[in-house]
Amino acid sequence: MGRYVVRRVIQAIPVILGATFLIYALVFLLPGDPIQALAGERRADPTVVAMLHNRYHLDDPFFLQYWHYLVGLFQGDFGEDYRGNAVVDVMTRAFPYTINLALTALVIEMVVGVVAGVIAALRRGRFIDNLVLISTLMVISIPTFVIGFVLQLLLGVKLHTDYGIDFFPVSFNEDAGFRAYLLPAYVLASTSLAYIARLTRTSLIEVMRADYVRTAVAKGLSPLRVVVRHGLRNALIPIVTFLGMDLGSLMGGAVITEGIFNIPGIGHQLFQSVYLRERTIVVGVVSALVLVYLFTNLVVDLLYAVLDPRIRYE
Amino acid sequence: MRLTKTMRLTAMAACAALAISACSTSSGDKKSSDQASGGSGKTGGSISVQLGEPQNGLVPQNTAESEGTQVLHGLFAGLVEYDNKTNEPKLRMAESIETTDSTVWTIKLKDGYTFHNGEKVTAQNYVDAWNYGANQDNAQQALPFFDKILGSDELAPGKDKKPTAKELKGLKVVDDKTFTVTLKAPFSQFKTMLGYNAFYPLPKAFFTDPKAFDDAPIGNGPFQMDGKWQHNQQIKVKRYDNFPAADGKAKLDSVTFKIYDKLETAYNDLRADNIQITNKLPISAMATVAQEFGDRYIYKPEASVGYLGFPIATNPAFAKADLRKAISMAIDRDAITKTIFSGTRKPADDFVSPIVPGYRQGACGDACKYDPAKAKELFTQAGGLPGNKLEIGYNADGGHKEWIEAVGNQLKNNLGIDVTFKPFEKFGKILDALGKKEYTGAFRMAWSMDYPSIEDYLRPIFSKIAIDNGSNYGGYVNEDFEALLAKADSAKTDAEGLKLYQQADDILLKDLPYIPVYTYMSSAAYTKTVKNVVVDAQNRIDLANVELA
Repeated sequence: MGRYVVRRVIQAIPVILGATFLIYALVFLLPGDPIQALAGERRADPTVVAMLHNRYHLDDPFFLQYWHYLVGLFQGDFGEDYRGNAVVDVMTRAFPYTINLALTALVIEMVVGVVAGVIAALRRGRFIDNLVLISTLMVISIPTFVIGFVLQLLLGVKLHTDYGIDFFPVSFNEDAGFRAYLLPAYVLASTSLAYIARLTRTSLIEVMRADYVRTAVAKGLSPLRVVVRHGLRNALIPIVTFLGMDLGSLMGGAVITEGIFNIPGIGHQLFQSVYLRERTIVVGVVSALVLVYLFTNLVVDLLYAVLDPRIRYE
Repeated sequence: MRLTKTMRLTAMAACAALAISACSTSSGDKKSSDQASGGSGKTGGSISVQLGEPQNGLVPQNTAESEGTQVLHGLFAGLVEYDNKTNEPKLRMAESIETTDSTVWTIKLKDGYTFHNGEKVTAQNYVDAWNYGANQDNAQQALPFFDKILGSDELAPGKDKKPTAKELKGLKVVDDKTFTVTLKAPFSQFKTMLGYNAFYPLPKAFFTDPKAFDDAPIGNGPFQMDGKWQHNQQIKVKRYDNFPAADGKAKLDSVTFKIYDKLETAYNDLRADNIQITNKLPISAMATVAQEFGDRYIYKPEASVGYLGFPIATNPAFAKADLRKAISMAIDRDAITKTIFSGTRKPADDFVSPIVPGYRQGACGDACKYDPAKAKELFTQAGGLPGNKLEIGYNADGGHKEWIEAVGNQLKNNLGIDVTFKPFEKFGKILDALGKKEYTGAFRMAWSMDYPSIEDYLRPIFSKIAIDNGSNYGGYVNEDFEALLAKADSAKTDAEGLKLYQQADDILLKDLPYIPVYTYMSSAAYTKTVKNVVVDAQNRIDLANVELA
């Protein structure tokens, strides 16, 4: 197992290098001068443009620029953006918000999704099952930004103005603490939550038909123990896979939700930086996200072994 | 002051996209001007206002967009400020600004102003700040604003050259409270220009650590920073109690600029009274805002003008003035502002915005009046367009598609030509393509002033010097126009200067290098919690005067 982990970590190095190169090249290929982007619709003063081009080596050929970047990277320097802010500062400022948001969302989708799925599976064909199926179908078919704006209006604005309850902040507000993450995390989690509920339901129904479950019931185990120890544990394998992949997309794909609720996180930052052609920030952020993906993938693979003793890594 | 403007323009294109009739309502002039100067309200209290993330650090010489400008407006006091109603320049930190020949200007400062760290504001602070802004090694966005001052070429010799001086020859400190400015050539509008944020002073503390200033500037205005700028979140400022009382101390205790990415979110916060003022409204709000906010919805003309531009220099097809006039006359401006913009814009009838002293109503005359029959006749006389084809480019990120296509359709019907459209990702891309001559069609264009002078609507977009160092994207050159600008620059009095600038404007109206299509209206709203909310011509909220209701 230890050797397996080490091998995986070593495999990650070329992946990250490849990712930085690809992203660097892609952002480089985007048309438009980043210094002009800073000036917006006005043409930037040619002298100022020349000075800044010089300062950030923008007139160098691509490979030389990438080389400058890599050299900095190996010295632990992520570079700075075109306004002179260190990329590390930008990332350490934005990542905590996204991590809080993504973890809250993950907990919500895990708890609510699995519970709803289990209930639906055990009450198959009954009212509660249909309710879960229909409500999840609705959530899947409505775009996230619609859910976001509607909930923001109803729970953020209307609840406050019409009923005087100021529980869900309309937009992110550090003073509100954990409350500030609840609504956005729910919106962010909503689609995955629906998938998880459906996945759990199907998977559990399948497992409950298995021989070993029949054996467990025949042994006279309590129904709770049958469902949790024998049913759910085996049904969880596809769900863990899904959750692992999802953590990555929750962090990188929160652009819309972070925008609606004005959370100063990494998705927000990434969007702005792509628009402004802030190459160093985009590469830094995306590489960090690649790391997150690699790490969660490793954790997921290790979790398989925990859930299913038949799986071993040597 | 552009980038974030895109957002505002998107907002105003509002009605366009949704075809909402309520946008226009009757708000018009009734509540157009300020509701300010009402009673002596209480002092104190805290509010939050909407802001977009400023593009650059909060150094006045490096700020050229609307968001940073809004913050600096509270943190700094310039030599000159503009009247919120008439946009005439009036003295603020200056006791007097005098000249006899429009070339040498003597500026005397008022007593009693200090920076937020206690340092007294002296003439040296202004001179140091301008020297810093004018030096190309510092790569400040406002660099071109100093090029009228004697000696600026030594500090900004251009690409691949090194500055040969550190101080502008044209700036001389006489004593603590007096300095003189010598310009390269007479410029009658210099006093008006001094209200622009590039001319704010900088304290000594700036020069010991310019980088720290980005997030925590030390100004001389009615508000001071309260902590650092929290990027993408907020900028907190509080009242500066040592601001001279005679000059209008801030009434509120503190203001939080809450930074938003989406205007919709800010508007929802406004409705929940989480923020109290916004000067940018989202598309989705335009239908209901007048009804929801009543007379707390501010709707008034602002500084921008929208044009249709032609690359005259690179495409000979557009060379004839009569042809451009024909195109202008084939555009039904009324229909566009009413049906596409639902009254949130007004048909343009001058190259100058209506809010600027020197604007003349109807100056454009017949050339801007809709007359399809005459347009067609003129168009044919002028020889038409090669292949009977016209291409119009626009930036797709600013809500311009609808009106550009409407203009295109009008031209198609009225002139019998084939019109195609070319969307660009953003405005900068059109400029790139025009510069490299990859694109030679007509293009969408807009201009907003930096200081409220008629000159700022002429030289930066139509003069020879603006081809390389400004916004003359069409490459229009007219020596008579240049001569009149020069003459107006050296005028002895404002009135005389104004008349000459208007004559220069007349040349443009005859030549129509661009076609003025509409002028913009600004919209803002505030909650019941506050009063005395005034938005100036540059769409900045005058925060020092805001009070709790």
